[in-house]
Amino acid sequence: MRFDRATLDNGLEMIGEYNENARSMATGFFVRTGARDETPEIMGASHFLEHMMFKGTDRRTPEDVNREFDEMGAQYNAFTSEENTVYYGAVLPEFQPRVIDLLSDMMRPSLRDEDFHMEKNVILEEIALYKDRPQFRLFDRARQVFFGDHPLGHQVLGTEQTIRDLTRDQMNEYFALRYAPNNLCFTLAGNYDWEAAKASVERQCGSWATAETRRAFPERSFETGREFIKDEKLQMVHIALVAPGFSAQDERRHAGNLVAESIGGSKGSRLYWALVDPGLADTAHVYLDTEDQSGEFIVYLSALPQKAQEVLDIARRILTEVQDCGANSKFALTQEELSRAQRKLASGMVVGGETPFGRLVPVGFDWVYRGEVRTLNEHVDDLLNVTLEQTHAVLEQRPFDAWTMVALGPIDDLCGLAESDP
Amino acid sequence: MNYTHVLDNGLTLVAEQMPFVRSAAFRMLVPAGSVNDPEEKVGAAHALYGLCFRGAGTRNSREVSDALDSLGVQRGGGAGDELTSFGGVLLGDDLLQALDIYTDIVLRPHLPANQLAAEKALALQNLESLEENPMQKTMVELRKAHFPGPHGRNSLGTQESIESLTIDDLREAHETRFQPGGAILSVAGNFDWEVVRKRANALFGGWRGGGPAPVVPSTEGGTPLTHLDHPSNQEQIGVVYDSVAPDHKQYYEGLMAVQVLSGGMAARLFTEVREKRGLVYAVMASFQAVKHHGFVQCYAGTTPERSQETLDVLLSELRRLAEGVTQEEIDRGRTGLLSRLVMSGESTSSRAVAIASDYYLRGRVRSMEEIRAAVEAVTPDSVGEHLRAIPPANFTVLTLGPTALEAKGE
Repeated sequence: MRFDRATLDNGLEMIGEYNENARSMATGFFVRTGARDETPEIMGASHFLEHMMFKGTDRRTPEDVNREFDEMGAQYNAFTSEENTVYYGAVLPEFQPRVIDLLSDMMRPSLRDEDFHMEKNVILEEIALYKDRPQFRLFDRARQVFFGDHPLGHQVLGTEQTIRDLTRDQMNEYFALRYAPNNLCFTLAGNYDWEAAKASVERQCGSWATAETRRAFPERSFETGREFIKDEKLQMVHIALVAPGFSAQDERRHAGNLVAESIGGSKGSRLYWALVDPGLADTAHVYLDTEDQSGEFIVYLSALPQKAQEVLDIARRILTEVQDCGANSKFALTQEELSRAQRKLASGMVVGGETPFGRLVPVGFDWVYRGEVRTLNEHVDDLLNVTLEQTHAVLEQRPFDAWTMVALGPIDDLCGLAESDP
Repeated sequence: MNYTHVLDNGLTLVAEQMPFVRSAAFRMLVPAGSVNDPEEKVGAAHALYGLCFRGAGTRNSREVSDALDSLGVQRGGGAGDELTSFGGVLLGDDLLQALDIYTDIVLRPHLPANQLAAEKALALQNLESLEENPMQKTMVELRKAHFPGPHGRNSLGTQESIESLTIDDLREAHETRFQPGGAILSVAGNFDWEVVRKRANALFGGWRGGGPAPVVPSTEGGTPLTHLDHPSNQEQIGVVYDSVAPDHKQYYEGLMAVQVLSGGMAARLFTEVREKRGLVYAVMASFQAVKHHGFVQCYAGTTPERSQETLDVLLSELRRLAEGVTQEEIDRGRTGLLSRLVMSGESTSSRAVAIASDYYLRGRVRSMEEIRAAVEAVTPDSVGEHLRAIPPANFTVLTLGPTALEAKGE
């Protein structure tokens, strides 16, 4: 295992984790941009732009882009979140020059008018698709309620309205600002040739002009919101609780992840035994969502209508009790619970990290969020080194006292909240 | 390095050693699933799988779970149509301990009567959740329309069948189905073959039984066109048609034809339905197989006003396949299949599943080299010949959403 690193004169960063035993390589551009970097008027522009990046360049038609990826037998795609847009491809090492040429070229797209209008239809279909998925609607709304008018509450897909209204000029302007080389990180993982990769990227991206690209971190208040949305088309009640957590830069995130796993891992956690094992709820999860300078604990519950209130009450009780970490508390997390959570998360990390494709995003995010390179084993150690005291310190902050709730389902009210109009 | 070892009782151990990884993955396949459920007890296989974890050997339910978590087992598996699969992945050093626990789960589950209500409650919730997932519901209903017999069943069962399950039903199902005849244990990753082989002999040597009789799939009497009204935003479109079985001599040609349809973003369906016409976000086709039977399953989701055009284009692309494929399409399809093959060779979980299912479907494990050679031997002519002999036809079409559609040309 070896790390490689370079920065071009125009600020474009290159990072790589070389693994001589790998049979493939994965590579991609990580762009530090997403829904949080948009204004409310152009909400959805980052994600729409991600689609448009596949629509050709000065040298390539849209068909060329798709065809060339397929000709390399690449496993490729892109994703957009609140704060990252990532374009990636995994290929056999022999295709390194071609995949870098293609991905680099794609980063300077034509953004043609006719493609823009055709792709708008596809985005609207994607919005319609997610409207049919109650979990996505729930989390979209939960973020809006939790973050209020803070940009982290923006919807990644945008709304039908913002997408219909978006103009190509607005997209061009957004692109020019956010896709400057100093806002990009080119990442490699697996069996690649560093010197050749560096030469390719320098040749293709070296002339791109730097721009003033910043991310805003407005203050936000931690007011808690509660909202219930009645939807008679649903069979289950879906509940999201959001509570303040730890950011991607906060060292306490390791303890936070383990707390979440102990309380709400999909099997063998406190919520699992209290809710899923007896069949009261079909899902009860807790996880820590870490972001740039922000982080949240997310609790997700789903249950039949007649059980929803009981399930929520039990979950709330468990989340409240576990924060009681005093020496005589019978609810404090135990060393056994912590150790199991550590083994589970560590083994998941090792297994997921055995392929270049599985390493690409963790390696890229280590750099994007923290400007660090860390091997898989170091990450495993970060987890295993967390002490019981550190997890208790997380819980003593009583994160679950300040809970925002959004629920969705075919009932009249939950927690005395009658239907509210979102 | 690949190994196969058949125990006296019929259980087959298949293994693939992968140096350079730390993990080991394993799968125990029992050749019985929802197709073996009696008609009025569909859901038994599914409930039995869940119940097996609620206490086994010397451990109670919580001890089973804690023991697996302490080993860091990432669990996989479940009850399918023809198979019930147990397994997971963990660090190779702990593989034998995990196999010990899983042997108890499969051979010596307590199947406690007082846990049945919880398992049934979960199954009923899964059934309700399906109503909220139009895409998944479409695929379940599509299967039902295409396979009128046991292979078309929703393995979850129905409300009535789930509610009717008794602990005796499940104990009997365990007794008669979980037998070594036809069962397969696969291991892939970092392990010592001799040690694993000896342990498997010790763990499973005393297991007895010939296994349940196979249930043969049949598409006789299927329903060609079905519409289900559903209050969704998008119209869901599912199409399925029969293709070659995994042991058919044109199997790789059949696989390649699906690559041409849906092997990437330059493949026909994505190009014609999404890129040229902007009709959908998602459109895909995939090759599926059960024992002695292969079929192609297609999906598209679109808003109602564009749904008839979407179905028309989809069906005309399926029919156009019979006119043949180009050299460029075969070149891309081949590279795609081969690169996926190499990349799957880096994942212990993928390999454990692949070698177990290979043995189940074909009675032997194909080596990577054999697959590579077979894929490389496919030509436009051989695919054309296959498509003339077995053209995509006799489609089963199912739509779910606000609008009923017409399957033109059928």
